Amino acid sequence: MPLEILGPMVVVGIVGIALLLRYLGLAKPFQLTGEHTRTAWLREVPNDVPVKILIAKSRQSALLRLASGQLGLVSVMGADTTARYLTDATWHHANKALTLKLPDFTAPHFTIPLEPQEQAQWAALRDAP
Amino acid sequence: MSELSYPDVTTYAVPFFIALILLELGWIVIKHNKDGYGGRYEMRDALTSLIMGAGSVISGILLGFITYGFLMFLWRLTPLDLGTSLGVVALCFVLDDLRYYWGHRFGHRVRWVWASHVNHHSSQHYNLTTALRQTWTGTFTFMMILRAPLILLGFHPALVLFCGGMNLIYQFWIHTEAITRLPRWFESVMNTPSHHRVHHGRNARYLDANYAGVFIVWDKMFGTFIPELDEDKPDYGLVHNLGTFNPLRVAFHEWVGIFKDATQAGLTWRERLLYCLAPPGYSHDGSRDTSETIKQKHLARHPEDVGTAGFKN
Repeated sequence: MPLEILGPMVVVGIVGIALLLRYLGLAKPFQLTGEHTRTAWLREVPNDVPVKILIAKSRQSALLRLASGQLGLVSVMGADTTARYLTDATWHHANKALTLKLPDFTAPHFTIPLEPQEQAQWAALRDAP
Repeated sequence: MSELSYPDVTTYAVPFFIALILLELGWIVIKHNKDGYGGRYEMRDALTSLIMGAGSVISGILLGFITYGFLMFLWRLTPLDLGTSLGVVALCFVLDDLRYYWGHRFGHRVRWVWASHVNHHSSQHYNLTTALRQTWTGTFTFMMILRAPLILLGFHPALVLFCGGMNLIYQFWIHTEAITRLPRWFESVMNTPSHHRVHHGRNARYLDANYAGVFIVWDKMFGTFIPELDEDKPDYGLVHNLGTFNPLRVAFHEWVGIFKDATQAGLTWRERLLYCLAPPGYSHDGSRDTSETIKQKHLARHPEDVGTAGFKN
């Protein structure tokens, strides 16, 4: 197929489908609950059970203390989730958000909307023995 | 016969791909809300898949000459020419599907090839856009070598690539949850949505199964077939799902992973090589899980699954 036909067709197709999905309400992010968070973590790391879960008010991220003693993060990815250990993460606090930077090319950073009070709670869970 | 050419069927199929995506989406929107079955769409996931598909076409345009040049080199070497009769085209299609099976199996069992193929499995959804989430880096796997026997047997490179394109088009429609099961005779011979859902499942049971392109008989012949079980619905995506929708990271993350792993300080050359060529999940210190150890750990937690599909031997 000539490129001058294929190119516009592909661009229009991609943009059109994306706009249609947005119009249909299929761009709304998943909302975490406690049970969702636990399931989402165990889905990826079945051998390390969460013992404490702190869900952000935005319901887009949750901090977990795990049976192994390590910290974990569950984060919403569109209609789904992903999970990461925070062992080597660096924490960057700002006024209304916490940014976690990970040495992981597949999940280099998570910017989590958190009020100062929530940030203090997350830091307390991080620093708890 | 060196000037033979066939249409680039995958680009001609683009309008049908778009139409079928709209059809599947419409079906899900109308039916899904009623009975909660039939598949899911999400904007950012679908957008990433579609951009990966467009990038794959661009990659083919930019790098396709390498594979074609290699195959034409072999074509000039071989004294055999089987021609282009309908029977030869049909035979080429079947043998190329066998080639696809092995290339696909290597794609899951050799990390160097997995680095290219992994992006196709990186969506947590299973719909027709997932079919288009294709590699940008296939040329660098050197899997074109698997096409060499076909060329040396006398199948023209243009015919072999045409059959490869038809194979990919066949596989488009099986990336759906909208079709449950097809008639038994069809399921027993052909790759179907049910068989391919298993292939995309990240459930321990379904890892490294159903590599077929068109004919599921290859999996049955080579012992990699696992049926879809109603009591173990496929959970789609990677064992460790990506934390990004960025297409560049989706396309290159496993190559970056190989580079980081193989260039660690203190490794032997054998360990560096294994980080490139061993099955995904290999680590020199045993700190990661391969599909075998994932299955073993699953059975330790669920001994009732021992001996069931996907956990035999």
